[in-house]
Amino acid sequence: MTFATWLALGGAVLVALLGVEESRRHAMKSVAGRRFLRHPTAAPALFVLAFFVILALAARLIAPYDPIEHLDPAHLANHAPSARFLLGTDPYSRDVWSRLVFGARISLGIGALAMLVAVTLGALVGSVAGYFRRWVDAALMRLVDVGLAMPRIFVFLMAVALWDRVALWVLVLLIGLTGWFGTSRLVRAEVLSLREREFVAAAGALGAGPTRIILRHVLPNVAAPIIVSAALGIGNVMLLEAGLSFLGMGVASPTPSWGNMIFDGWLKMEVAPWSATFPGLAISLVVMAFNAVGDALRDALDPRKEAR
Amino acid sequence: MAVWLVRRLAASIAIVFAVITLTFFIVHLARGSPCGPSQEQPFPPEVCDTLIKQFGLDQPLSVQYVRYLGQLARGNLGRSFALHRPVADALADALPHTFVLALAALVIDFSLGLALGIYQAVRERRFADIALGNIALFINSMPTFWLGLVLLLVFAQRLHWFPPGSPSNPVLCPRLDSAYCVLDFLWHLALPALTLGLVGAAATARYQRTAMLEVIRQDYVRTARAKGLGERRVLLVHALRNALLPFITLFGLTFPFLLTGAVLVESVFSWPGMGRLAVDAIGQRDYPVVTAAALVASAMVVLGNLLADVMYVGADPRIRVPGA
Amino acid sequence: MLSIRLPVRLSAGAALAGVLLFAGCARKGGCTGEHCGTLMIATAGEPDILLPPVSEASITRDVTEQLFLKLADLGMSGNTVGDEDFQPRLAERWEWDAPTTLVFHLDPRARWQDGRPVTAADVAFTYDAYTDATVASPFRPNLRQIAAVTTRDSLTVVFRFRQRYPEMFYDAVYQLRVLPSHLLRELPRDQWHSAAFGRAPVGDGPYRFVAWKAGESLELRADSTFFLGRPHIRRVIWRFTANPQASVRLLTAGDADAMEVLVTPDNVQLARADTLLTVYPYKGNVYGYLGFNLAAPGDSTKPHPLFGDRELRRALLMAVDRQGLLRNVWEDLAKVPPGPMSQLDWYWDPETRELPYDTAQAARRLARLGWTDSDGDGIRDRDGHPLAFRLLVPTSSGSRRQYARLLQEQYRTMGVDVQLDEVAYSLFIERAHTGLFDALLNGVSTDPTPASGIPQSWTRAGFGGSNYGRYENPGFERLVDHAIATANRAEAKRTWRAAIEVLNQDAPAVFLFAPRNFAAVDRRVTDVTIRPDSWLALLYTWRIPADRLTDRDRVEP
Repeated sequence: MTFATWLALGGAVLVALLGVEESRRHAMKSVAGRRFLRHPTAAPALFVLAFFVILALAARLIAPYDPIEHLDPAHLANHAPSARFLLGTDPYSRDVWSRLVFGARISLGIGALAMLVAVTLGALVGSVAGYFRRWVDAALMRLVDVGLAMPRIFVFLMAVALWDRVALWVLVLLIGLTGWFGTSRLVRAEVLSLREREFVAAAGALGAGPTRIILRHVLPNVAAPIIVSAALGIGNVMLLEAGLSFLGMGVASPTPSWGNMIFDGWLKMEVAPWSATFPGLAISLVVMAFNAVGDALRDALDPRKEAR
Repeated sequence: MAVWLVRRLAASIAIVFAVITLTFFIVHLARGSPCGPSQEQPFPPEVCDTLIKQFGLDQPLSVQYVRYLGQLARGNLGRSFALHRPVADALADALPHTFVLALAALVIDFSLGLALGIYQAVRERRFADIALGNIALFINSMPTFWLGLVLLLVFAQRLHWFPPGSPSNPVLCPRLDSAYCVLDFLWHLALPALTLGLVGAAATARYQRTAMLEVIRQDYVRTARAKGLGERRVLLVHALRNALLPFITLFGLTFPFLLTGAVLVESVFSWPGMGRLAVDAIGQRDYPVVTAAALVASAMVVLGNLLADVMYVGADPRIRVPGA
Repeated sequence: MLSIRLPVRLSAGAALAGVLLFAGCARKGGCTGEHCGTLMIATAGEPDILLPPVSEASITRDVTEQLFLKLADLGMSGNTVGDEDFQPRLAERWEWDAPTTLVFHLDPRARWQDGRPVTAADVAFTYDAYTDATVASPFRPNLRQIAAVTTRDSLTVVFRFRQRYPEMFYDAVYQLRVLPSHLLRELPRDQWHSAAFGRAPVGDGPYRFVAWKAGESLELRADSTFFLGRPHIRRVIWRFTANPQASVRLLTAGDADAMEVLVTPDNVQLARADTLLTVYPYKGNVYGYLGFNLAAPGDSTKPHPLFGDRELRRALLMAVDRQGLLRNVWEDLAKVPPGPMSQLDWYWDPETRELPYDTAQAARRLARLGWTDSDGDGIRDRDGHPLAFRLLVPTSSGSRRQYARLLQEQYRTMGVDVQLDEVAYSLFIERAHTGLFDALLNGVSTDPTPASGIPQSWTRAGFGGSNYGRYENPGFERLVDHAIATANRAEAKRTWRAAIEVLNQDAPAVFLFAPRNFAAVDRRVTDVTIRPDSWLALLYTWRIPADRLTDRDRVEP
């Protein structure tokens, strides 16, 4: 770690803190915001997320070494954490801290993108099913039932058998394609109830087509549960990616992801536990933060919930 | 009620059938073959051709599909390339292990979760509640396999409190024929079940805490208190009875989680269950085994949901059977 | 508010009861004397099917070694030429009726474990099964020099060969494990690959099969009526683990008694420091190499754009500090082989001429070929193409992954860009097989004789098989054929050396390591003899003396 990178790290922490403070001040102005902040874990969770997002974005500034460079396979493998290597080196003499920072990009990126795919698809399917009802609804919901019946990991075990090497974008797409079922059910339920409301009937009477009604009137009202399920879902995606990488089927070397860092460091767990421990801790912290934020959001955005 | 049950059953069967078709076509595209990957030195080409003909892999896809359906109907899940035995046999050996693990994890999950949830509800907003809540959240956010690795390292390798994986001691207990052997088995089961159970328990605890809090505030509890019944009795009897309902819902939700988690935990602890079977099979491109494992897993999920629905309807008389 | 006293009391009571039960009901055994003992072998992986012609996995072979007898077995000298160094097993004696006719006389005491006698018909049946195209045994090619196997009477078997050559006897006895014809005759040949017999075999060897718990363990028990002498160790149990590290952990925790190979220098150090373990070094039968693909990936009719050039290969070979890399990865546990051979191979001649490690010369040769760094990016190029290739490595081998990175570094200083393709083992084999690679890091396990291994990996006969890089050289092949046909060991060794030298000049591969194996066995086990080609071949001679029996040893099955 050089002076510059220490500075960058400090800067990241500061920016994250400032960002959280700013959002806190803004949030206090609205009822929902205050409800959000009532959760004691909400603000710290936001800080954690902000910090890791900054790490991911400013990776090049913060990481002291190249994440895929083998610094010295002969002499620098499995070194304990020190001033030079903040979190030690892994069995292939790569700096764990740098890989963690760049890994944040991959892991968070996969989480966000896959969730985007899943939520979009889920919202679309759910609203179409809820709005049109009858056979469209029945058909789509049967599809959802089939999708929910297969445990996700088995789908991936089979998918990995298909392709020799799963490219990153394929992985993201697959995770998204297998993760929209819950969201669609949620959205469908909301749409079914909204459908009866007057403004939807009114819009229909004024001649608006189904697409316009769905996009303009229905979806914005369904936004709340979608956002909550997205926040909670990112955590699941990150855990899934970690699990797949642990089985050797996730992100491929040398690109660092928190999951495959555990895979690489696992065999040296007794003599050099840091290679596998820190990525695991990072995953746990971030997922925990997403869960906390999701919980707080659920309380904040859901107007029907009783205050506790 | 009976009509509803039949309909639910039919729907479940339809889902399983759809899953069968889906898995068959997906996995078949993987070109898994009886030669090559599972062997240390690959077979010569003419040997490969013989084996391919033997396993019927040179037929068109639709023919193989029909053949597969017919075999499934007769309970024949195909023959494994790598294990050299019928898939049904391999699964029959592996399934009880997964089942036992899932059951033990479920027990730990629910009992720990319930106890924690009640304790937290009773200590609402105090330090214990908040601290435990955060610890539970943290554990729930851990990757299950990572927790397993940490537990394995600390408790099995460093402290030697538990054995490092595998369900039994083959020297002293080749069969479960004495109390000692049963206890030995439980001792071996402890760490993997704990890993799976802990992560789930955290979620259950949160659920139960909410449920418990709602019940505590309900009128009839206040009435019971006013009547002068002991605090403990009030809580345990009335509150628990209603708090048990979420368990049934949780049962349906936890099952897929357990099956997924079992795949990873079995790999960490060398537990010879269905999950490990499937993972090993992937490495060998042994697609009969992968298909069968995916099928069985899905069937278990569907069955779990069906059971949960039935229990839910049976347990709570306030719920009317869905009409349409 | 809520009292938790009651539940705590209850659980404490339960725990106490559990402990008492545990202590009191432990299975006790009363075995005393010279024929007790339980040997637990920790192994990563599991046997596939205990039917010898069908499987060539080494862990399967370890088990079938104890269950089924060969006609004669290799001696400790490892000499595969002639028949003087072979030990009688199923056959009590043999003679040569004619230059190409070998007659075995079976030991009349030999019995199958269901009581039936072992007959010549069993041997003939076994040969028929091994060479049956439907069974598709991987050992079939090894038996092609045998023309026919017939029986003269119930205890006499006749092998007729197609021609006379030095290792006739070896070919007749080494691969064939005699099977019970009365139990397998009725089984259709196309069902042999998943036969139920393979999960509950009946053999004639020193041990008999007891139980196989899939994914957990496999148990054998000594046959007290074994005609060649009752084995001392009463029970042998293989315990399956997920990977070699888990096996080592079992060993050091005292839950296992033996392990075939400790693999890494760390493990060897660990075992040596452990006072309850004895480490047994023996010659390894593996060699590892960096192989170049001489054909274009995906199109074997065209030469590889880089490695089709012999001069380039030679320069690349000279750029590798094999000794340095070896010391780094293996420390002192392996040697750099002078060619495609393992430490077990008797034709290992340290005087074999190879290309030297000389980076200056390598650089000069590369420059002469036109590979210079014209654009200053640190990588040599020629006509706009960089000197870059992809190296295929299986993720299953820690040592090969290490080598891959070290090689990458070495080549980078030479101006060669190497990118790593780390894939799962099954994918590695598939891509190697189909030629979809530039270079790969492969490991080969060798037989006791080079006569089968060398042609399979380095001649035209191995195209589509183990000769992934598609190397061929008629001069090399002529020398190999000559060496195989030479009866005199010293002369054969000289011929092999000449052949290897020809191969080395062509540089189809960089031969990196040939490890020494280290087995670890619990100290209480004595008389441990390890035959390098099959470490448990002499298991029936191992002993646990009566005064060193532990509780585990005394348990009677």
